[in-house]
Amino acid sequence: MLETKNVTIKFGGLTAVNNVTMQVRPGKITALIGPNGAGKTTLFNCISGVYTPNSGEVILDGQHLEGKMGYKINAAGIARTYQVINLFWNMTVLENVLVGMHSRLKANFWDSLFNTKKKRQEEKAIVEKAHEWLKFVGLDEYANDRAGSLSYGKQRLLEIVRGLASEPKVILLDEPAAGMNTTEKAELDSLLQQILSMGYTILVVEHDMKLIMNISDYIYVLCQGSLLAEGTPEEIQNNPEVIAAYLGGDE
Amino acid sequence: MNNSILKKKVPLGILIAVLLIAVPFLIQLVFGTEYGVMIACIILIYTIAVSGLDLLFGYSGQISMGHAAFFVIGAYTSGLLNNYFNIPLWLTIPAGALLSCGLGALLAWPASKLKFHFLSLATIAFGEIVYYFLYVSPGGFTGDYLGISVVTIPFLGGSYTRWYFFLLFFTVIALVLKHFLVHSRTGRAFQAIRENTHAANGMGVNVRKNKIIAFAVSAFYTGFAGAVYVHLLRYIAPSTGQQKQSVLFLTMLLFGGTASMVGPIIGVVIIEILLELIRPLQEYQMLLYGILLLIVIVALPGGIYGGIKDLIVSIKRKKAAKQLTKK
Amino acid sequence: MQMFLTLLVNGLIIGGIYGLIALGYSLIYRASGLMSFVQGDMVTVGAYLGITFYVVLNLPILVSLILTFACSFLLGMILEKGVIRNLLKKNVMPIYVVLSTIAISYIIQNTAQAFYGSTAQTFPQVFSKPTLTIFGITAQTEAYVCLLLSVVMMVVLHFFMTKTRFGTAMRSSAMDPLAAESCGINTSLSTGITWGLAASIAALAGMMLGPMYGVYTTLGSTIGRKGFAGAVVGGYGNMYGAMVGGMILGLAETFVSGYVDATYRNQLAYIILILFLFIKPTGIFNEKAIQDV
Repeated sequence: MLETKNVTIKFGGLTAVNNVTMQVRPGKITALIGPNGAGKTTLFNCISGVYTPNSGEVILDGQHLEGKMGYKINAAGIARTYQVINLFWNMTVLENVLVGMHSRLKANFWDSLFNTKKKRQEEKAIVEKAHEWLKFVGLDEYANDRAGSLSYGKQRLLEIVRGLASEPKVILLDEPAAGMNTTEKAELDSLLQQILSMGYTILVVEHDMKLIMNISDYIYVLCQGSLLAEGTPEEIQNNPEVIAAYLGGDE
Repeated sequence: MNNSILKKKVPLGILIAVLLIAVPFLIQLVFGTEYGVMIACIILIYTIAVSGLDLLFGYSGQISMGHAAFFVIGAYTSGLLNNYFNIPLWLTIPAGALLSCGLGALLAWPASKLKFHFLSLATIAFGEIVYYFLYVSPGGFTGDYLGISVVTIPFLGGSYTRWYFFLLFFTVIALVLKHFLVHSRTGRAFQAIRENTHAANGMGVNVRKNKIIAFAVSAFYTGFAGAVYVHLLRYIAPSTGQQKQSVLFLTMLLFGGTASMVGPIIGVVIIEILLELIRPLQEYQMLLYGILLLIVIVALPGGIYGGIKDLIVSIKRKKAAKQLTKK
Repeated sequence: MQMFLTLLVNGLIIGGIYGLIALGYSLIYRASGLMSFVQGDMVTVGAYLGITFYVVLNLPILVSLILTFACSFLLGMILEKGVIRNLLKKNVMPIYVVLSTIAISYIIQNTAQAFYGSTAQTFPQVFSKPTLTIFGITAQTEAYVCLLLSVVMMVVLHFFMTKTRFGTAMRSSAMDPLAAESCGINTSLSTGITWGLAASIAALAGMMLGPMYGVYTTLGSTIGRKGFAGAVVGGYGNMYGAMVGGMILGLAETFVSGYVDATYRNQLAYIILILFLFIKPTGIFNEKAIQDV
């Protein structure tokens, strides 16, 4: 499945991620936690192709991803959401999901331009599929609204299905619960379980410890760019170093 | 539900078609000259050009302030091929459009990496270089700063009415193809790039490739328009490639409304007619563009079409709210 | 040799002007992350203001200079406060803000035309001695003064930006507005002043150009784009890069038209601009302002 091997990322003289090795297990939720500025999002950006690691490897099912462009990584089977929501605001909710499917579509430019049978059939199929995805997260009634008009919690959901629409091997969720209230968090919890049951694999960065301990199967703890600990939620909860890092770490 | 929309739309479509066919006859009936028909022809040509610009700016979010360059590239190619080699216009027109398309792709290849304000200057510079090249005309092969006349137009004769139908045919094709493209994988990629390049990249869109495609298609449209224009007026001058013309296209697009089928049409029709009306005040054309642009940017960001759409939505909302309170 | 020196001086003179305008672009970019097409037209405005004060109202040259500076400073601030800031507040896409400056630029050009007519006006000789010979090179007295003034203005600006409290405030609010705000700096004011400064520098350049080039409504738009090219050559957003880039452009232009061919004099700037944008977008001073993806 997805793994990073000795990944190091430096910005100028600063080492943001230092020699991190981790494995994402198929069909499970793997979590990446750590205090602010620990390098979690940087590592995410490195996996999804925003940054190129200075050294180390990112491998998905034997395929090297490090240094590839983001769109190629998406095509290889990694989708993501963003810490700050990055929807296509002026496109409709439905169109956002359709863009998510981009790398799975077969119609090329000429099919698009001349509206070939191939394109028409494909469009019909994917629109149906997109509606299914929207129903899955309860957004179908907003399908033709502008994405920007959705409420904050719904925007988060849309971002998740937009990622899932590419039918990725792994979906990276960057703080999916940020800004959600308790009910929404509970819904997110069950949504993630449903996504798992559909056969997807999840790698998640999250601040909410309670949620993380609840949902994850395996946890990696980053601190100041380096891996501090790894293990099951129970092991992490009882790890004195982690506790020290969280309590002593001046956030 | 679906049926009622169809029933409403079909008569509307027929009505529009009848109107479009009647235009040249109506104009001659009212004004008694063919001059108005020529204006209608120019409106059709500009509609193609501005629709092309819309694909670039409205849909993929890339600014071009030198689009007139593509217009004159199409025009000169088409005109010169005709003058020098006597090639018939059904070949010179696509040749002009294709050359424009190729140069557009060539320009976009490095330019697609630039942030918008630098892209705007890069396209201005491109436009100025093309303009000045034609103005100086090394070796005189593009005529001189006064332009060139194009002589042979075998099958359309001098009748603007015939031209009108010829152009109407191509305008409809151009708009239909634009519609297909916009509602496709490629068109959605354009819009995703406009909205957020980083997220588009993360969702699997090859940003640079699609930016270049948008540029090439846009240049094809505008080049095609130019290639037809030269045969309609039988004349083209470097001054048509000046920045003024590029700003005219942009103003038409923004004023009518970006990222839509109808917006460019509205913009072209209103502004072209306006320009005809203020012909005596030609010196102040640029003032008109400036004021129109500023109005649109400050008060009507969606242009006329966007404004109408918003109005309809708000009326519908009010109606829906009323019905709710009644219940 | 004589020709070389003459070209050198001429190149430095026009390069100094480009440098000043480029500096304005860089200041605006630093303050707001935008580019303003009005920057070039402030050159025109400056030249016409100069004519108005010096010729029409018959004021002494120094007073005219100061008044031109003050008026254009105000215009720059009004532009920022009245239009740009409001648009940014309305969350208009940045590209539309840039387009609005194009619109304003056309409005300025046409208003100037309405007031002063479309024929070029001559700016009268300021100094009693029409030409000056330094090191055997004869040029218009105004040209030398112009060169001197551009150098002086660059030095003054350098000290203003680095040594004064206010300059520090301007630089810090450009770098990180939030942090600067929390340190008690009025970022809104300093952004406004930056735009004012950019405008008035360009206006002074215009007033200096007047006696050499004559004054007409599109004087600034061409020179403005050359200033932009200068800013890109130097490294967009870099103050010193702007001056150096402007100088390089001025020299390149004069030498090419002097030794090679004057036909493409005006196109050279565009070609250099495109080459830099496409091949070395970070400019000489390596500013990374330009790339998108």
